[in-house]
Amino acid sequence: MRAYKYLVRNLGTFGCVFALLAGAFLLPSCSGIGSAASGGGGNGGGGGGGTGNSVPIAVNAGPANNSLNQPLVSVTICVPGSSNCQTITNVLVDTGSTGLRVLATQVTIPLLTANASTGNPLGECVMFADGSFLWGSVSTADISMAGEKASSVPIQIVRTTGSVGFPAVPATCSTNGTDNGTVSALGANGILGLGLFTQDCGAACVTSPPANVYYDAGAACVPSMCSLVSVPLLNQVQNPVALFTKDNNGVLLSMSAVPAAGATSVTGSLIFGIGTQSNNSLGSAKVYTTDSFGFYTATFNNISYPQSFVDSGSNGFFFLDPTSSSVPACTTAIAFYCPASSTAIPVTTTGNNGTSQVVTFNIANAETLFSASPTFAAFGNVGGPFPGSFDFGMPFFYGRPVFTAIAGASTPGGAGPYFAY
Amino acid sequence: MSKIFAGLLVLVLGATPSLASLGQSVQSVHQDRQRMAGEMRSATFESYSVHEISAAGGTVVREYVSPAGNVFGVVWEGPAMPDLSQLLGAYFPHFRDSVAAHPHRRGPVYVQSGSLVIESGGHMRAFRGRAYLTNLIPSNLNKDVVR
Repeated sequence: MRAYKYLVRNLGTFGCVFALLAGAFLLPSCSGIGSAASGGGGNGGGGGGGTGNSVPIAVNAGPANNSLNQPLVSVTICVPGSSNCQTITNVLVDTGSTGLRVLATQVTIPLLTANASTGNPLGECVMFADGSFLWGSVSTADISMAGEKASSVPIQIVRTTGSVGFPAVPATCSTNGTDNGTVSALGANGILGLGLFTQDCGAACVTSPPANVYYDAGAACVPSMCSLVSVPLLNQVQNPVALFTKDNNGVLLSMSAVPAAGATSVTGSLIFGIGTQSNNSLGSAKVYTTDSFGFYTATFNNISYPQSFVDSGSNGFFFLDPTSSSVPACTTAIAFYCPASSTAIPVTTTGNNGTSQVVTFNIANAETLFSASPTFAAFGNVGGPFPGSFDFGMPFFYGRPVFTAIAGASTPGGAGPYFAY
Repeated sequence: MSKIFAGLLVLVLGATPSLASLGQSVQSVHQDRQRMAGEMRSATFESYSVHEISAAGGTVVREYVSPAGNVFGVVWEGPAMPDLSQLLGAYFPHFRDSVAAHPHRRGPVYVQSGSLVIESGGHMRAFRGRAYLTNLIPSNLNKDVVR
C-alpha cells in the first residue's frame, strides 16, 4: 500500500514536472482528466442565484446521500479575468472556517497553482478538531455568487491521498485522523468558509517559523518530510465575501424553521452583506462581539463557557456532558443526546461588548429521531456532549436569522468580529 | 494562560525536564518538546507540576505531571491542531476510533471511556482541547486543574 502510494506520487511528479517548473501547473492536465471546457458564460450560473446579493441554501441528503444538517450552495469559479467558469454545486456553507475549498475531482477549469515564496507550488493542510484534514494546493480563482464577485481569490484545491500530480499528504498533516477530501467523507463537493475572519490562518502563518498549515509543495515534499512555509496575509486562502466589491462586511443565513420531527430537507438563503441592502438589515438582532479568536461566552446553570461560538459547519448543538446538562447520552448513537422527552436548554449568550440574552433551544432524542426518519437530513433539535464550550451548530440557524460579521469590517451594528441574532 | 504562570514559585525558562505522552512516565524521553521544536517553561506546585511548550506558529501545549511522575493531563490551544498521536500516545486510538464510530457527528470530539476523557474543539484559527486520566489525577485535585 505504501509502495503503491509512492509509485503514484512519483509518476505524477514526472508527468507534471515541467509544468511545475514553468509555474503553469494546470489541474486537469496534471491529473490526467480531460480539460472539458465547461460553463462558458461568466454569469451563467451566478452560483445558482442570478443577480442580487442572495443565493439559495438547501439542507438535504447532499451529493453522497449522507448529509445531516449541512447547508449547501452553488459557487461559480472562473479562471481569473476570463469567462472560463464552472459552477460547483453542493458546497458546504461553513461560518466556522474561512475560505473556499473545492475537491480537485470536481474542478474542470484550468486554475493556476499559486507559488510559495520559494517559487515552488504552495500546498496547504487544514486540520479540524475531529482530526480530519484537507490537503491540497492553493490556486487562484474568480468567485461569483448571485450578483457578487471576488477577483483573484486564493482558494484550496483539495487533493485526495495519492492524488496524481501533487505531493502526497505529509505525515504532519495526516497524523491526527482521516482524509476528508472525498465527496463521501465531506458530504459535499467543497467547503465555503464564510466565518469571522478574512484569512484562514492569519498572523500565525506569516511568522517564521509558521503554524502547521502551509507547505512548500515542491518536488522535495514527501510524506515523511515536507517543509512548512510562511505566507503573507494576502496570499493565504481568503474569505471571498471580504473581497466582494460590495456587501462585503459579512453574511446572513436565513433558514426556515424545522418541525420537531425533522424534515427531509429545508431551504433558506445565504445573503451577502450586513445592513447594506433591504434584505440584510440587523433589525431586532442583537450583536454579540467575539474575542480575537472568534469566541464569546455561553452561561448555563451559572457556569460560564468563554470559548463558545456559532458554526454552521457543526451539525448539532454540542455542549456540556450528560452530568452537567442532566441530559442522558444515547446508548448506540452515543455522540448525541437522547433525553426521554424533548428538553429545553436555556443558555445566556454574552458578547465581549456586554450584550447578553437568554436563548433557548430544544434537545430531543436523536436515536428516536434518526430511526423514525432515516431519510431526513434536517433536525433542529439534535445535539451531543462537548464539555469545553457551547458550539451552536446548524440547528441553531433553523428559524433564526444569524449574522456573521467579518473582523475589522464596518457594519451598522459596529465593527466585526461578531455574531448577531 | 499567562496568568497561571505569572505568579509561579518556580519558573525555569528553557529547561528541559523529561516529558511524555498522556499516561506515560515523566522519566521518559524529551520527545514532546523536541518534536514540537518549542520553548518550554515549567512550574511546580504542591500537588503537581506543569510543563508548557510553546511551539512554532503559536501552538501551546501544557502537560500536567503528578508527584508520582505520571502525565495525568494534557492541554492544547493554538491556530493549528497539534500532533495528537504524539500527545495522546497510547490513548490516541480512542480518539481516532471514536471519530470513526460516529460519522454522523460533525463538530467537536468528546471521548469518555473508563478513566480517559478527551475533548477536542474550537474552530479554524483557534483550536482548543484537553485530555486527562481520572485515575492518575492526584487525589487532592480534580479534572479542572487540567486547563
